[in-house]
Amino acid sequence: MSELLASALPSRARMRRTAPAVVSAVALAAMIAVCASLQSDVLTVGGLTLVLSATVPLVIAAQAQMVLMSVGDIDLGIGSFVGLVTVVSATTLVTSPLLGVLMLLGLVAAYAVLGALIHLRRVPSLIATLGASFVWLGLGLFILPTPGGSTPEWLASFGAWAPAGFPAPLLPILVVALVVYLLTSRSALGVRMRGLGSNPVALQRAGLRPLTSRVFAYTAAGALGVVSGLVLASQTGGGDVSSASSYQLMTVAAVILGGGSFVGGSAVPWGVAIGGVTLGLVSVVLSLLDVQSNMQSAVQGVIVLAVLAGRVVVGKVLR
Amino acid sequence: MHVENLPAASSQDPSQGPSETPPGADRGPRAGRPVVVAKGVTKTYGRTRALNGVDLEVRAGEVLGLVGHNGAGKSTLMRVLAGLESCDDGAVLVHGKEVSGEAGPRAADFRAVRMAYQETSLCPDLTIAENIWVSSRHCLPRMRWRRAASDAVRGRLDEMFPGHGVTPRDRVEDLSLAQRQMVEITRASLVDRLDLLILDEPTESLGPDAARSLYDYVRRLTAAGTAVLLISHRIREVLSVADRVAVLRDGAVTAERFAEGLGEQDVLTLMGAHVAVPSERERAAAAHAAEGAAERPVVAELRGATGPGLREVSLRVGAGEVVGLAGLAGQGQQEVLERLWRPVRRDTKVLGTRAYVPGDRQRSGVLPLWSVAENLIVTAMRGLAKQGIRRPAEERAAVGDWVERLAIRGGADAGITELSGGNQQKVIVARAFASTAELVLLDDPFRGVDVHTKTDLYGLIRQEAAQGRSVVWYSSENAEMAHCDRVYVFRAGRVVAELVGEEISEERIIAVSFAESESDGEQSNE
Repeated sequence: MSELLASALPSRARMRRTAPAVVSAVALAAMIAVCASLQSDVLTVGGLTLVLSATVPLVIAAQAQMVLMSVGDIDLGIGSFVGLVTVVSATTLVTSPLLGVLMLLGLVAAYAVLGALIHLRRVPSLIATLGASFVWLGLGLFILPTPGGSTPEWLASFGAWAPAGFPAPLLPILVVALVVYLLTSRSALGVRMRGLGSNPVALQRAGLRPLTSRVFAYTAAGALGVVSGLVLASQTGGGDVSSASSYQLMTVAAVILGGGSFVGGSAVPWGVAIGGVTLGLVSVVLSLLDVQSNMQSAVQGVIVLAVLAGRVVVGKVLR
Repeated sequence: MHVENLPAASSQDPSQGPSETPPGADRGPRAGRPVVVAKGVTKTYGRTRALNGVDLEVRAGEVLGLVGHNGAGKSTLMRVLAGLESCDDGAVLVHGKEVSGEAGPRAADFRAVRMAYQETSLCPDLTIAENIWVSSRHCLPRMRWRRAASDAVRGRLDEMFPGHGVTPRDRVEDLSLAQRQMVEITRASLVDRLDLLILDEPTESLGPDAARSLYDYVRRLTAAGTAVLLISHRIREVLSVADRVAVLRDGAVTAERFAEGLGEQDVLTLMGAHVAVPSERERAAAAHAAEGAAERPVVAELRGATGPGLREVSLRVGAGEVVGLAGLAGQGQQEVLERLWRPVRRDTKVLGTRAYVPGDRQRSGVLPLWSVAENLIVTAMRGLAKQGIRRPAEERAAVGDWVERLAIRGGADAGITELSGGNQQKVIVARAFASTAELVLLDDPFRGVDVHTKTDLYGLIRQEAAQGRSVVWYSSENAEMAHCDRVYVFRAGRVVAELVGEEISEERIIAVSFAESESDGEQSNE
């Protein structure tokens, strides 16, 4: 958000880049307005907490997706990965915390290795991450065949935390967006990652190894995936490997809604935060509107398409 | 922030040379000691020999101009001198020290050799300051590098290109072509120690003012002891800036002269290559065709076509005529082919069907999973089919005919990727001619194809033309143009010459594609 408000009179090019996030923000405001008109309690702290909490893990997973999309890759395994993290945190992390932490670190390392493999073997990231998603799914089913378990106390208390002044879910959304912003947009590491997505040849000519950039990006994505899984487990209070399978493509949609591109090169952490919340709120609005649950997916898709169409129109006008 | 303390960048006394110049050394334009030396450098890519024993010396404090025609090996030589590629044979010496063959741009030896690329090597999604970090990070502080890079690039841009109109926070994708070029040159020059600056076609997209201030800066650099290697096809510009001129031809330096007293014509003569003599029969056919060109029915025509990359282009293709598009690469020839392939504008008139032979066979030519026969017949399939049903017998016959006619090794059933590059090219050309298209467009299809294949294909083109097919042929190899009836030479999106029959020669084409029109000359020379 601060990126949008940073300069009072942004240039045309800057407006064009932030337009998608602005469109998403308008859609977000519209949806909150609809919710509030149907159920006036939504605008209270408690109401907002309830409405927003479901979107937090999605937004964090979308940040992971955004990091990978900034180097020009797409991750189709993030949903199963988040699910696997919930399983680990509902089982091993409770019984033997040290082993659990090591397992989570191992999962991050596995993501780094995945990135190195994708780079060295020149496998399309789509295929490699899709393959990896079956590995995550298999591991998750192996550890916990049926949904269940219980989360560690500290995690559960984080999930139940309800400060008085502001809706609690806003805090993780903003903190993660800030961290990702510092990493991808402000740091030298971020320049290397976006440079890889933008023009790998230039990177190589300057003597920077694209492999390093890609491995960094995958490590960051893995870490964000773990955070997303922990938050999800804190909310559901248990582990389920398929609890986040819809994230696979929802995260991609969130990045696109936030102004990212499939080609790579750009990082839009604040846009992704807005896009993710927008996407997560759609189902809340639909249930408040009493849309039949078996129609919800279809309506959700139509709303996403409408927002994307709005983005295209705004982009054309600003060109 | 030691970028700011660059010897050549500072506004200190320019006669104060950088530390590596021995004090008291004679720094006349021709007296510096060698910075980078190439000794018998040879480089081959597959079958093509890009460099064939290049000997070149770039000395401190001089501007060395490098000229040469398409495919002479300029860009390969640049990459070798900048340490981006190793050479197969020979050696590159930096400051008298031989640099090992495996040295890449990471090697400290090449750190003081910097190159501004013609197509730029900037990341479009990054800001200018971030791009500077990518290329000059080793001279930026670890903390607050963004501020340091911004200050350095702003200062250098102001110095090199006053009125550039960009700020370090701008993203490269939002800049105009000229501004990108400015940033690219600035990027290359920003380093703590600069011994050799290689400029590859630096003024291609710059306006006259920017070009002038660039060359002013180049003179200041050389006065401070830096060597500059300037590659350009604007010969007058090279002559006005360079101290020495080296001519590259067929992968070797064929002449080195002092620029003083050298004229444009002299350089063109030095560059002129042998004239490829087509066989008697072909020559006669060409002459005959030229006579008959006037009364031929017109198959395709451009009338004052203007658009991206094209300015007022008029040309005509008669039935059974082979029309060549010549000149330096990227002067509008491919845009003409594009117009003829998709004649959607009013200024383009094309009668009849067309077939297109792409130059980049890997990307837009072969269907890699298909066999030779399928690759060959895919265009003609519809013509052979009866009511939308394929007729395998006829297809086989046609394929067999073409395979035999062009002596395609491996036969019809081989997988296309099992064939050598030359044979793949034969299949792609045969695909176009096997169709019923009346106009065949060739987009430089014979690059990197061996001589025998080329001879076969030249023969094929003439045979097909004799049967009434029209061919429009863009080639970066001027010798090939001798097989055409008529040749249009392009420069900067304009047709600068139309050569017919006997007039078509490599020397003529080189002369007209380099000779600058008066208005061009004024722009870039002063």
